Amino acid sequence: MTKYDLGIPELDKALGGIQSGTNVVLVGPPMCGKDILVKQILHAGLRDGDGVILVSTGEPGESIFKWCEQHKLGIENYKNRFGIVDCVSKTLGMDVSDTQNIKRASSPVDLTGIGVKISQFFEQFYVKDKLSKARLAVDSLSTMLMYSNLQTVFRFLHVFTGRIKAADALGIYVLEAGMHDDKTVATLKKLFDGVIEIKEENGEFFIKTAGMGSTPGKWMKYEITGPKIVIKGD
Amino acid sequence: MFETGIPKLDDYLSGGIPSGKSLIYHTQPGVEGDIFGMQTLYWNLHKGHKGVYVASNSAPYAVKGRFKEFGWNVEKFDQLSIVDCFSALMGADSSERYVVSNPEDIVAIDDAISKAMENAAGGVIVFESLSTIMDHCGEKETLKYMEKWKKYSTAYDNVVICNFTAWPYAKSTLKRIKELFDAVITISGIAKRVIFGQYYGVSKVNWVAKSQKRSISFKVLRPGGVKIFIPKVLVTGPYNAGKSSFIHAISSRAISVDRLGTTVAMDHDFIDHKGFTADIFGTPGQERFDPLLRMLSGEAMGVFLLIDSTKPSTFPRAKKMLEMTRAHGLPYLVVANKQDLPDALSVNAIRKKMKIPESVPIISASVAKKQGVFEAFETLIDMITKAI
Repeated sequence: MTKYDLGIPELDKALGGIQSGTNVVLVGPPMCGKDILVKQILHAGLRDGDGVILVSTGEPGESIFKWCEQHKLGIENYKNRFGIVDCVSKTLGMDVSDTQNIKRASSPVDLTGIGVKISQFFEQFYVKDKLSKARLAVDSLSTMLMYSNLQTVFRFLHVFTGRIKAADALGIYVLEAGMHDDKTVATLKKLFDGVIEIKEENGEFFIKTAGMGSTPGKWMKYEITGPKIVIKGD
Repeated sequence: MFETGIPKLDDYLSGGIPSGKSLIYHTQPGVEGDIFGMQTLYWNLHKGHKGVYVASNSAPYAVKGRFKEFGWNVEKFDQLSIVDCFSALMGADSSERYVVSNPEDIVAIDDAISKAMENAAGGVIVFESLSTIMDHCGEKETLKYMEKWKKYSTAYDNVVICNFTAWPYAKSTLKRIKELFDAVITISGIAKRVIFGQYYGVSKVNWVAKSQKRSISFKVLRPGGVKIFIPKVLVTGPYNAGKSSFIHAISSRAISVDRLGTTVAMDHDFIDHKGFTADIFGTPGQERFDPLLRMLSGEAMGVFLLIDSTKPSTFPRAKKMLEMTRAHGLPYLVVANKQDLPDALSVNAIRKKMKIPESVPIISASVAKKQGVFEAFETLIDMITKAI
C-alpha cells in the first residue's frame, strides 16, 4: 500500500505514513503558518517523486514560484511535477495565460474551471508522465466559501475527495478556524478522513493530528523557521 | 437553424438547432465542457448572428481572454453582448451593457437576460455556467426561470444554449434538466484512476425523428477549440510504398526514425485537419518487423493501406499486412500511391488484382506531389466516425 509523508519527521513518526486515498483538512487560526505547512507537505511530495497540485485562491502562481525560489527549495528540479491552479490572477485583471506549471481558473467562483484544471494535471501526472502518486492541496476552502455557498463547495469537494481516493492520492484542504459557523465545519468534516489542527496559545503555536487511521496525536509546539515549521517539543 | 460549430455534432442534430429550441452541454465535473458553449457562440457570431453570453464564472475581460486562448477574437463582433452576472460578486465595477447587480437574485438575472434576449432576437444565448446560477440562486428557482427563458426564445426566435457541470445535485434536479432541454449533449471523460480522454454524445434531441445515441472522442486544442480525436490510425503497406512520405504529407511535423531512408522503427504523428485530429502511426514495411505490426494494430480505429501502383509484385505482401492489422474488421482504405508515374496501374486494375471489395475506397494518390492525401484522410475519418 502506498503511503504519504508530510515532511515533518515528528508527525510522520507518530502517523506511520498516511494511507493513499486520504483526504485531510488543515484547520487553524489566521497567521499561524498554514500556507507554509501546505508548501512543506507539497515539497515533501516533490522530493518523494509525487506529482503535486496546489489550488491557490489567495496567491498568484508566479508569486508561489518566487517564494519557493527565495527559500531555495530547489523547485526547478521538480518543475514538471509541480502544477498550480491559480484562481487569483484573472480576478486581478492580469493579462496572463497558462504556462506549463500554472493553469488559471477564472475566479474562485469558477469551480467548473478549477475542476478541469485539477483533472488536467492529474491526467498529465498519471497518464503522460506515468507517476503513481500525487498530492493535491486546496488553499483555501475558506476563500471558496466566501464566493459560493456551503452546499456548492460541498458538492465540489464530494467529487474531488472521491477522485483523490480513486487516484490513491493525498488531499489537503485548508480551512480558517473561527471564520465559519459550526454547521459549516461539521458538514465539511464529513468529507475528510483526518484533521491536522493548529492552535495558538500565548503567542505559541501547537499542532496535532487526528484520524488518518491512527490514535489521536498530542499537541506539539512548533515554530516557523524560514520555509517550514519545526517541532519544538510537546 | 443555428449550427453548433462542433465537428460532427451538427450531423447528429440534422443540421443544427432550430430557432426556439434549447440545448444543454451536460458535462461531468473535471471534463473541459464549457468550451462547447463558447465554440457554438463564436461559430454563430462568425456567421453574422447576434449573440449573448451570460457570464457567471468570469469577469467580462476574462471571458474575452478565454475566447482568445482558442484563437477567437470576439471583440470584433458588435452584435455580441455580455450579461455580467459576475463582477458584482467580486465587488467590481462593470461596463457591460447588461449588469446584474445581485447575481444571487434570480429576479435580477431574469431582468437582464429578458432584455438581452429581446435585443438579440434571432440570435444565440449562451450561458457560461447554468450550474453556477443554480448554485447562487437555487436549483428549483433557476429551472423555473429557465422555462420562462425558453418561452422567450420561442417568441424572439433565439436558441438557448447552456454549459452545465453535473455536480452531484439532487436526482430530481438532474432529471428535470434532462426533461427541460430539447437536446442534451453529454460530455464525459474516461476514468480509471484519473480522467483521461474525453468524449461527447447526444443523449437526447427531440427535433430529430430517429436520433442515434453516439459517442465520439474529442480533444480541445489551443488555438482551435473542440476537434474530433481518433486515438489511433495506422498507416501500413509494403516496403517503399511511401508510408512515411504519406504521414509527412498530411502533417507538418512528423519525425520518422529512419535509417538510410527506410523506417526501421515507426513514424508517429498528430494530425489536425478540418475539425478532426488523429494520432497516426506508421508501421515499417519489412517482414522482420511483422511482430511489431501486430502489436501496433491493437486498439487501432482505422487503417490506411499504402501501395505502390507501379509494383504489382508487392500487392500480395500488402494484402498480408492488411490482414495482420485488421483482424477485427476495422474501417480501412487503400491509397494507390505513385499514380503520377507512367507505369502505374489504374485504380480499377488494382481493385481487380488485389480483390478489394467495392465497398472499400481506393484513393488515387501521388504522395510526393501531395495529391490525394487529404482526400484519403477525410474519407477514412468519415468511415471511422460512421462506424463508432
